[in-house]
Amino acid sequence: MEHGYWIKSKPVYNALVWHEKATAHLIIAKNQGVLVALKLFQQRQPTQPVTLLYAQDGTDYAKTLNKVVPAGLDVLNSEQDLLVSLKNIMPNMRMGLRVYVAGSEGFIWSVAEVLKTFGVEDADIMKELTDTLARTIYCVHCKAITHNITTNIGKCSGCERMLFVRDHFSRHLGAYMGLMIDAESPGELPEIEEIYP
Amino acid sequence: MALNFKKETFREDYTYSNSDAAIKRFPFPFPEDQYMYSVNIEPHTKGKQGTVCEFTFDIDEHYVAECLDKKITLEQDPGRYKALPHMMDAQWDFVELTMEALAQDYPEHFSLKKQGLIWTWENKPLGIKDTFTFGDTSTLATEPFDYIGRQLQGDFVLLDHRDETLYADAGIVTSQADWSLAFNVGMSWREWHGPVPRATELGVMDRALKYLLNLQIGSPVRRLNWTMTVNPRLDTSPENYPHWGGERNTVNAENIGDLIHLRVELQTLFRLPRSNAIVFSIRCYLISLKDIATYPRWAKRLHRVQKTMHPDLIEYKGMTKFHPMMVDWLAKFDDGETLAIGTQPE
Amino acid sequence: MSMINVKVAAIEQVTPLVKHFTFVKEDGSSLPAFSGGSHVVVSIDIGGRVHRNPYSLMGSPMENEAYHISVRRQENSRGGSVFMHENVTVGMPLKITYPMNLFSLAKKGRKHILIAGGIGITPFMSQIADLKRMGANYELHYAFRSPEHGAFAAQLKESCGDHLHCYIDSNATRLDLEALLSDQPLGTHVYVCGPSPMVVATLETARNLGWPENHIHSEQFLSPPIGEPFKIQLARSNIEIQVSAEMSMLEAIEAAGVEADFLCRGGVCGRCELDVLETDGALLHNDHFLTDSEKASCKKIMPCVSRAKGERLMLDL
Repeated sequence: MEHGYWIKSKPVYNALVWHEKATAHLIIAKNQGVLVALKLFQQRQPTQPVTLLYAQDGTDYAKTLNKVVPAGLDVLNSEQDLLVSLKNIMPNMRMGLRVYVAGSEGFIWSVAEVLKTFGVEDADIMKELTDTLARTIYCVHCKAITHNITTNIGKCSGCERMLFVRDHFSRHLGAYMGLMIDAESPGELPEIEEIYP
Repeated sequence: MALNFKKETFREDYTYSNSDAAIKRFPFPFPEDQYMYSVNIEPHTKGKQGTVCEFTFDIDEHYVAECLDKKITLEQDPGRYKALPHMMDAQWDFVELTMEALAQDYPEHFSLKKQGLIWTWENKPLGIKDTFTFGDTSTLATEPFDYIGRQLQGDFVLLDHRDETLYADAGIVTSQADWSLAFNVGMSWREWHGPVPRATELGVMDRALKYLLNLQIGSPVRRLNWTMTVNPRLDTSPENYPHWGGERNTVNAENIGDLIHLRVELQTLFRLPRSNAIVFSIRCYLISLKDIATYPRWAKRLHRVQKTMHPDLIEYKGMTKFHPMMVDWLAKFDDGETLAIGTQPE
Repeated sequence: MSMINVKVAAIEQVTPLVKHFTFVKEDGSSLPAFSGGSHVVVSIDIGGRVHRNPYSLMGSPMENEAYHISVRRQENSRGGSVFMHENVTVGMPLKITYPMNLFSLAKKGRKHILIAGGIGITPFMSQIADLKRMGANYELHYAFRSPEHGAFAAQLKESCGDHLHCYIDSNATRLDLEALLSDQPLGTHVYVCGPSPMVVATLETARNLGWPENHIHSEQFLSPPIGEPFKIQLARSNIEIQVSAEMSMLEAIEAAGVEADFLCRGGVCGRCELDVLETDGALLHNDHFLTDSEKASCKKIMPCVSRAKGERLMLDL
């Protein structure tokens, strides 16, 4: 098995910038993703209507946000609430809507999963990574998903095998591939290091 | 000519073996003493009688046993079959392509009778006979691609053609060389070719994509690919890596000739007419080093190819543990004689 | 390249300028199935010179007894359409390529807006058969000059019902692209085929309204333009060829007996792409395939529709 291989299907995340051409904008942010949203408004205030969904953790940005997004701001208390709110507003959206997502990788792909059900494809979504480089991994053996893996090798939440985290990403699953590290020599583990802080 | 189907296994006791005739027709993939990764695509035209390219889809003495092995794999892990909803037209295209080809090429084993859209399919080796309405999924017990995919040797992926690329949007994959359908389904060409070493940087995959986007109805193409597998195991999936990975530790200088198998994939690609999708067919052939060595020409060639293999490819193909031992084992067959270009056994 | 031998089974004058040709296999067997939006390239021999032109297949993809194409008579062309109108008769044998699709429906689309101008209706005829079979949500917007020029309008009214919207210049009914494209549900795809200004206007309107590029589809086969004669050198074949004013580079290469790859012959598919080894830089790119930077680099050319001006053009062939 090609442990040494650096597989290049990892998505690339960019800094958010406004689409010049649009009929409406939808920004979806979580935690530090909201700073990215605020930075967007420092670029310029678009002429088209803007909707901003924000799941907050500790810091309260609602006041600041209220100033820049007077209409269309929806502050939620959790990612779950945000996804529910997103599902409620999407049926009213029309072609010409541009979508921006900012947050952790896990958040970005949870949002993408919902958007897909409304006909918005991955390629149509602008994404910026914030907060953490932690990865969601899919155990190729037992199919369980484990969140927030920050190390090169992580324990599967399903079968408890130690999984090597490949740089191979499935947009369909929103996860990296995890593959048993010690199948050929049980118990022999390389050093576990934090590489996705 | 009717085939004699063997009773054999591809797991646990591994009773798989090749008859003399099967060895002779093995699709040996090395025409030259050095191996270089390339696209090497050629038209999938009718080959000589008896060769693996004689017919559209090759059925051989392992047919019944392979279909049984596929059944076991699918029962243990239904995730080896997956088709996204927009691929239904491609599924029926696949049914038409495969049933027509098999019935025409192997009339003593398969038959297809059509009365308008009412089709009767008979598969004698597997004892299957069903009547269904072409295009009406409710008339088959499973999805059409699943239905016929189980009755063929090898793996199949249906590629949707959109946005100037190809998406792996359906598959039935049970004899793969270390890739996961459940993980890869829905990926674009570039995403699922991420793992190929040295290839992406050479632009090989981009060129191959450009070629395939223009693949035409009625003009299928083929290429050979290869790797090495310990034991004649079809299911070398990442899913079951915990079960087969350890087998690499059992190879030693005494048993290497029996354990190590050259695994050749005959990959064929067909444009499907109604869906504009592409079928990617991956048919796996296995042969032990010992059986290869029954033809000195092949043993010499394989020795030279392996001796000069790039280290990246040795790792990519999972051969690191036994590669030096394999080169040593093959060396005794190589007298240094100059070999003409070509893959023929003699 | 694999070709299919067909014969002309029927010819019907559909409008004053459009003829509908029906082809069947010469040996009476079935034709290959195809997907909505496909075309074939038809070869015709005009006085010893082979013309090959792409035409959309109009019939239902589920019917494989016959193929249907329509040809609009183009007076200022190189003679292919005039020949089809005046010299092709019922019973005549012709060679066509296998169907090829460069204008396919987006199968994951939730709604499909089809916009046709004039003869640009043809690829939609087969797409509509597919959309209806799949039970898809679609609208067909069809613009033409005057009632007598609305090819297949009556037939479409019958098969599409409320999904069809016609715009007739002479009745001063016009398609408002902005209004149409600014109120569509997410997941909608737009497809346009017709005269160049209509295609350009549709693409621009959709882009300006923020439609993502992969939701916008167009097909516009180009005829090889008439130009000034020029010379080319083929490096591997080691010959020099004169390309006359009304001949394409690809046709001149073929006429010289050199085998060259091709598929659509309309500047779309990219199959005939050739590497330019040497040039004094005056390449007249007419295709839709190469990117602007590729065109500017003068390293590649599509010989089916592009031309050159100047003294030197050496190709890798």
